Amino acid sequence: MKYPDPKIYRMKDHMDWDLQKKNLQEFGSIAWQLVKETDWKEFGKKQLKNAALTGKRLADEAKAVKAMTPDERRDLLVNGEKHLGKLYRSGSMATVRREWRGVRDTAVDFGEWAKLWGMLLSSFSKDLVPSLNGATWYRWMISYFCCHSFRDKNLMGLRGTALKMHSELTNDIFRYVAENLVLLMKGDERGGNCRELSKKIVLFDEMTMGQIMAGFPDLVGIPYQLLPVFLLSEIDQLACMPYIDAVESYGLPADTCPVPTSESGACVIDALPHLGACFISSSMPCDGSVMASSYTSRRFKDLPTYHLTFPVRYEDEETLQTGVLEIQNCIKFVEEQTGAKWNWDAYFTAMKRFNDETRFELQKWEVNQTDRPQLIGPTYELFRKWNYEMDGGLDPRILESFKKVNKMMLKAYERREEPWPGKMRHRAIVWSVPAHYYANFSNWLANCWGINVLVEMEGLNFTKPLETEDHQGALEDMARLYERMVMRRHTNGGYDHVLTELWRQVEIWRPELVIMYQHVSCKNMSTLQGMFEDQARERGVRLIWIEHDLMDPRTVSRKDMRAKVNEYMRTVMREEPVDPSLLEFDDESSW
Amino acid sequence: MDRLKDLKYLIWFEDLLENADNELVQKAQADGKLAIGYTCYHMPEVLLNVPGCFSVRLRAPRTGSIDIATYYMSNYTCEYARSLLERAIEGGYQFLDAFAGVDACGAMNRCSEHFELLHVNSKPNFFVTHCDIPYKVVDYTIEHDVRQMRKRFLDVLTEKYGVDTSDAAIRKAAEEHNEVCRILTEIGDFRKLDNPPLTGYEYHILNLVSYCCPKYLILPYLRETLEEIKTRVPDPKPWFRARVAIVGSEIDDPSLTKLVEEAGAMVVSDRYCYGSTPGREVIELSDGEDALTQICRHYMEHSECARYISNEKIQQRRDTSDRLAREYRADGIIYEQMKFCDFWAFERPLASHILAEEYGWPVLSIDRPYNARSSGQLRTRFQAFVEALEIKRIQKKGGD
Repeated sequence: MKYPDPKIYRMKDHMDWDLQKKNLQEFGSIAWQLVKETDWKEFGKKQLKNAALTGKRLADEAKAVKAMTPDERRDLLVNGEKHLGKLYRSGSMATVRREWRGVRDTAVDFGEWAKLWGMLLSSFSKDLVPSLNGATWYRWMISYFCCHSFRDKNLMGLRGTALKMHSELTNDIFRYVAENLVLLMKGDERGGNCRELSKKIVLFDEMTMGQIMAGFPDLVGIPYQLLPVFLLSEIDQLACMPYIDAVESYGLPADTCPVPTSESGACVIDALPHLGACFISSSMPCDGSVMASSYTSRRFKDLPTYHLTFPVRYEDEETLQTGVLEIQNCIKFVEEQTGAKWNWDAYFTAMKRFNDETRFELQKWEVNQTDRPQLIGPTYELFRKWNYEMDGGLDPRILESFKKVNKMMLKAYERREEPWPGKMRHRAIVWSVPAHYYANFSNWLANCWGINVLVEMEGLNFTKPLETEDHQGALEDMARLYERMVMRRHTNGGYDHVLTELWRQVEIWRPELVIMYQHVSCKNMSTLQGMFEDQARERGVRLIWIEHDLMDPRTVSRKDMRAKVNEYMRTVMREEPVDPSLLEFDDESSW
Repeated sequence: MDRLKDLKYLIWFEDLLENADNELVQKAQADGKLAIGYTCYHMPEVLLNVPGCFSVRLRAPRTGSIDIATYYMSNYTCEYARSLLERAIEGGYQFLDAFAGVDACGAMNRCSEHFELLHVNSKPNFFVTHCDIPYKVVDYTIEHDVRQMRKRFLDVLTEKYGVDTSDAAIRKAAEEHNEVCRILTEIGDFRKLDNPPLTGYEYHILNLVSYCCPKYLILPYLRETLEEIKTRVPDPKPWFRARVAIVGSEIDDPSLTKLVEEAGAMVVSDRYCYGSTPGREVIELSDGEDALTQICRHYMEHSECARYISNEKIQQRRDTSDRLAREYRADGIIYEQMKFCDFWAFERPLASHILAEEYGWPVLSIDRPYNARSSGQLRTRFQAFVEALEIKRIQKKGGD
């Protein structure tokens, strides 16, 4: 069967046109108000100023090229530019232009860029009207217009095979996003209002893994808050602030993690689509996340909910039976709510694929553990997480991507390629709650300081092949897998899983630096801060602590995050940057 | 206020609460009994009181600086957990023979892990448990809880100290536990009266000593205090201007109750961790089922912890708050949470709105530090709330 089943996109919409009319009127009145309130004189001045700055930039660039030696010019033509800080302009949302990567890689980049557009257009054209309509209902939909910018910033500085591999992975993630956005808008009561589709949709709580849906091939599992909140914030760090403000106005203290905070805020202001046969809430991965589901239940009182909860002390195999019963009851709940029947054959087929994908993943780790790491950086990490918990072997197209990318990776390894040519100075691993995406951080580390992030904590999850023959064994493995979901694998079950685990990983990956993301609102991680310090000192491991607050840059700005590294590298490591233009730049307003 | 004749043992009870290792704890240890520390309601208190052992619900009274604990656990985390860790590092829990911990909330779990990592207790057989606690109450999660309590706590207690944790031993502990509960319930019921013969602060003290002292040693004093209250003559006119129920997260600091009462409101109901609901309900044991299962079920069903996320438990929490406020004839509810507690941080705003909008209660919603006594901001908010309640009452009377 083709994936996703084309039939679901052909199901009939029942748009409420009166409702749309009302919404468009409101939308129009807001737009008109914005037009009226805009200081057009000021706007005009700003455009003129930008035009002048563009003129100056072009003149400067021409001057710089003119001043180059023939060899330098040749290098620029072949290998591209080396001072990426120039691409940022204070106050701008987008970069001033695309990166010049040299003739060949710029052509590759353009090709991949065009391919992404093509994929997006073809995905949305599966049911365009509800999707377009969604942009007038939900402000978060607008942020997806900057998805290309997200791609570009994560690929900054990459050359050769790395550029191709990262583009391939980005396409897979974006296709998943686009296809699910279409379904969300199609099923939404305020959008396509496709009741037939809505009855087939099972909504999942934040970070809850999707593998269980492999046994329901006729249903559609959608991580409910992923698109309106979580992934959105990684694409546009500024997008979740209205949610955070809304729920804090409601009374939530400001010290909670912005992820469940944003999700709760989205419920408070009714920013999530109204659809679905049922909702699987979960106890993962932390205390705040557990609690956010009460806001979802409050907003969607009529949405049948199953609370999928697993033992916290999951290493204790005596707790496994409880996890198995949870899985079984969840399956039963989905069957009751949707009328669908669990299909072992479909489940095993998908899990065989997932096992193959895991084997490919381990191959990547093997290569990255050598002195010639290949597939590293934020796109790879995002793909790893997405594949592990959202895709989970369900989409057959992804296995093909794995094959393609791993083939490229091995060739690049043999050719001794470098993802960021000439910039690779230090091996590093990322630990604790990562913030690469919001702040484009791993990419900046590589481009500015030559710090190469080989792997991150959240990618190091369950790699045991899942049982694909025996039913009881399969349920047990599924429980084990769910218990070790992204983040939960490390933050739950005791300090051994995150503190001692770091030292184990340091032995394996041999990093010179550990990028310790200190998420100020993550209680599970910050309650071990002193032990990390003590034990790192005992072992002689270098930790660079970088404070952040995920999707709330008002607490810690991207600039402040970068300043921590700049300070460390200069004062402790006594080094100068690879690209000084990236030391200080203003990206406060950028996507 | 405070014109009632002092309770005979009140000052002594207050003294007992000044130190975790108080004179009754010392006496029990001198009698050869094992001191088992715990914090969370998820760990059934009664299991810690099997013959030969006694429970001490840990507090960190007179906490000053918590700098060292802050170094280990950072500054955006629960002050209660940090205060306990600080006290442990200072050697304040050296008297313990075990710490019965549960992996229920992140901060407290990490706190108990630090007990191990930092070796805060040097007794050779000292141990720390991390029992896995379910998130919902169904048959198989109760069985899970039973297995955890048996394996991670009771069996270890037997293995390390040779303590009898048989069904008979647990039932014996339940008898003593139930007597404490009956006395405190009877005393607590006086708060339902128009003009109660005790204050909320006094009740808080009585309840806390029952958690922090060996049961067999505190029981005679609680019995005597009950008799004293039965004949105690209240002031001719109630000393308070309003009656409030407190609902929310952990409060082991009676000075918070005092702060509320100084603002003019009597605390008539205490639905918070370390309060009497949950904690002082009699455990009815039948002969047809093993005691451990019945006890685990009792604790899970009576728990009001925000960690339980299933819809029926969420509803139970709201209904319990409403029921207690009605039964104890409160004029309003103070919904509180310990600062930096994620569970209650999310629960409080939502529940506060619902109790106000759907149940019709005036609600004061606050987050608070572990040591609230010196908080001028809280005092002002309590005073303003009492005034608001008075105005509502006057308006209601005018309307009538």
